[in-house]
Amino acid sequence: MTDRMPALLNINGEKVETEISNSDFLLETLRDLGLTSVRGTCGIGICGTCTVLVDGRAISSCITLTALHEGREIVTSEGLVGPNGALDEVQERFVENNAFQCSYCIPAMVLMVRAYLDGTEDPTVEGAREALGGNLCRCGTYPQVLEALEALIPEDPV
Amino acid sequence: MSETFADIPMIDARERVTGAIPMTIDQAMPGMAHVKVVRSPVPHGLIRSIETSEAARMPGVRAVLTGASLAELGVDPYYGGLRNDQPVLAIDKVRHEGEAVALVVADTEAQAEEAAGWIDVDFEELPFVTDAREAMTPEAPPIHDEWPDNDCGTWRLRHGDIETGWALADRVYEAEYTSPPASHVPMEPHVALARFEGDVLEVWTAAQAPYMVHTALKKTFGLPDERLRIKTFNLGGGYGAKGGVKIEPLVACAALAAGCPVRLVLTRPEVFNTLGKHAAHIALRTGVKTDGTIVARRVRAVFNAGAYAVSSPLGAGQAMTRASGPYRIPHVWIDSTARYTNTVPTGPFRGAMTSQLCWAYEQQMDDIAHDLGIDPIEIRRRNLLSDGDEFITGEKMHDVHFDELLDDVTEAIWSRGPADPAPAGRARGRGVAVMIKSTLTPSRSEARLRLDDDGMLTAFCATVEMGQGAGTTLMQMTAAYTGVPIERITIPLPDTFQAPFDTTTASSRATFSMGAAIKDAARKLKDELAGLAEEHLTTTAGELRFEGGTVFRAAAPERAVSYADLLREAELPALEVEGVFQSEGGMATLDPETGQGQASVHWHEGAVAVEIEVDLQTGKIEVLNCHGACYAGRVISPTRVRQQNEGNIIFGLGQALFEELVYDSGQLVNPNLSDYMIPSILDIPKRLTSSAVESLEPDPDVHGVGEMTIPCIAPAIGNALFAATGVRIHDLPMTPERVLRALRAREEAS
Repeated sequence: MTDRMPALLNINGEKVETEISNSDFLLETLRDLGLTSVRGTCGIGICGTCTVLVDGRAISSCITLTALHEGREIVTSEGLVGPNGALDEVQERFVENNAFQCSYCIPAMVLMVRAYLDGTEDPTVEGAREALGGNLCRCGTYPQVLEALEALIPEDPV
Repeated sequence: MSETFADIPMIDARERVTGAIPMTIDQAMPGMAHVKVVRSPVPHGLIRSIETSEAARMPGVRAVLTGASLAELGVDPYYGGLRNDQPVLAIDKVRHEGEAVALVVADTEAQAEEAAGWIDVDFEELPFVTDAREAMTPEAPPIHDEWPDNDCGTWRLRHGDIETGWALADRVYEAEYTSPPASHVPMEPHVALARFEGDVLEVWTAAQAPYMVHTALKKTFGLPDERLRIKTFNLGGGYGAKGGVKIEPLVACAALAAGCPVRLVLTRPEVFNTLGKHAAHIALRTGVKTDGTIVARRVRAVFNAGAYAVSSPLGAGQAMTRASGPYRIPHVWIDSTARYTNTVPTGPFRGAMTSQLCWAYEQQMDDIAHDLGIDPIEIRRRNLLSDGDEFITGEKMHDVHFDELLDDVTEAIWSRGPADPAPAGRARGRGVAVMIKSTLTPSRSEARLRLDDDGMLTAFCATVEMGQGAGTTLMQMTAAYTGVPIERITIPLPDTFQAPFDTTTASSRATFSMGAAIKDAARKLKDELAGLAEEHLTTTAGELRFEGGTVFRAAAPERAVSYADLLREAELPALEVEGVFQSEGGMATLDPETGQGQASVHWHEGAVAVEIEVDLQTGKIEVLNCHGACYAGRVISPTRVRQQNEGNIIFGLGQALFEELVYDSGQLVNPNLSDYMIPSILDIPKRLTSSAVESLEPDPDVHGVGEMTIPCIAPAIGNALFAATGVRIHDLPMTPERVLRALRAREEAS
């Protein structure tokens, strides 16, 4: 069970050589690599705080084995920040709209919105809200998140 | 002079969004091992034996501990804030399913978990009780030998003369209301690290009250202050779950036994097994005049304390003072009790010991209004407390703004005229609720300010940042009170080696109490600076001003001298001052027979109104429109006040509509986020707004705003449901099934 083997992961655009075991979950591998914006809460893929992007799709890293993701493009919140510290547009709107309280769940929400925008031809606020249905926030900062979405996705005037 | 405050965003907004803020769960100690806890599968039982030898031989294992072996460590094995009744690991018996029985320390988490599976505990099962009212009966199994009748705290209040009250009443109303156990669900689990560094025990923990942890561990290990260091980081949610002392004694004992630094992160089921909300049964009897004036009220409140006392002995008393609501009632009789049961211990829970009561008195208020043909808003107006009124504790009320709160919330919801007609198969209705809550009294906050000779100021305080924005709010207050620009101020994370005493970050007290301590320290700092500045201030004309990190006379601003220059001239590398806030009175000072006295340094006030739509085919409730309001005294940050008011409503929607911990045969059957749901972004009211009422006084108390709307949301919805359908729900949560059953029962009856 604890047999370690070398693994080559593609994380935030960089090749990362590490050691994993067959039973390691992606959440713990990423956190052990210092990517602590990826956070565990429920452990069963329900709450969304461990969301990461794999080949552009948002998945729960707490219920997927690291070994399955060798060679795939893994993106965490850290990877959305540009080389000179520039924030991603989604991150910018969250900051501007105070869309955070304790913030434990927020990096994952940002990734979920990023995946929705990248994977949708005509994004809408309602669509983004639906996409966030599985990203839980116990502080209840959803109204500010909705305001960030409204700033991010200008709705066509009807 | 009254300070001005700008609405400054949280200073670490960027790091909060990117995930870079430091949290306890991100911390590591060099060379640390990992702890895994073995928990009881039975709700109540004697421990016959624990077989640990196989586990101790497993790879990577450094230590195995049981309740019996704690004695060999030379520690005090019991802890608890009010009653010292909770063992670090179960000793001789277990009192709830999920209680910690043994622990393993190993090099890796996987090794610790593997070894924990080899620990074999032999239990002799005992009869158990999970319901607090059953726990009061003579047949109930005793849970703690030293506490007969499973009594975990019983209080009484006698105000006026209840028999006179009944005689004055034209009508008397009687009903019972219940709230189930619920869970806080902070997204970050409980996590703590501990090590013995030289002769100092160092504990880093996700806790709301570093000094409660400090006090507890002093006792566990018999250490003096200088050998005990508690640090906290940004909390990933608290809501009461991380108040007091939780896993810290266990983690510190593990570090002692293993002889190395250790870390424990609870799994989600373990978080559910650590602390919950008090289930409650409230029996309410109210006497009124035909004009709606309340003349008498009797409350019998029974709270489920779970297996250990935690804060319940005090909480039952706090509940007593809040039980009759924000109303002027001359004759009041209240019995409030908490009882031990074989369930998860319960304690502070956002809106603690208030939501359960507000659910009762605010729903009964609407029943009374309906029966007497009085408008629900009008009947409240006739009874709400005003300044100078006598409260049920005999206190003269001051700073009372219930009328304004009622105006705020009802105007927001009712001002649009009659409710739009509901679509076919649905019904719409509006409801309102108002609440009163005491704050923790007495309590103490200390702050230490250090001004360096480069003009930078550091405020050391043990207030914990858990998303409420206390860090930034206290920086704003520090800036306003000292005259140092906010960008030159730092508030380090709490560390008991640096930050002086603070009771806790709870009970909506941080901004009020720590703010007052900082104000006191700032006054001393300014006195010292004024002394140093004397020769610079050649005129005595005009008021002394402290602004922009300089001091000057209002009449001669051109002679302003900077704090940094003053310190350098005096060859002082730094100036240090300490400030204190201490409130007096509180539950322990009330008359034990009558509950009369000063229960709270001031009273929290909140209100909520809603408009809902009910699906008559499914019983599902949707909140269309909601407005919450609190009394804030003085608003420091409108953004953060709004986030508290609206966040409270969203948090409380869960307990109103679907949250409930379910026990079957003494087992908690839904300790996970699949079977215990919390509100998502799809569950929130279609339109949610809020407001804060401020004082018109020149220098008002700054009131905390952390839990002013949560108690009101459930009864406001309950009242809206009654307005929409004529159906009254007495038991939370208002699930579709429960609503549908009530609708059908009414149909069958008519």
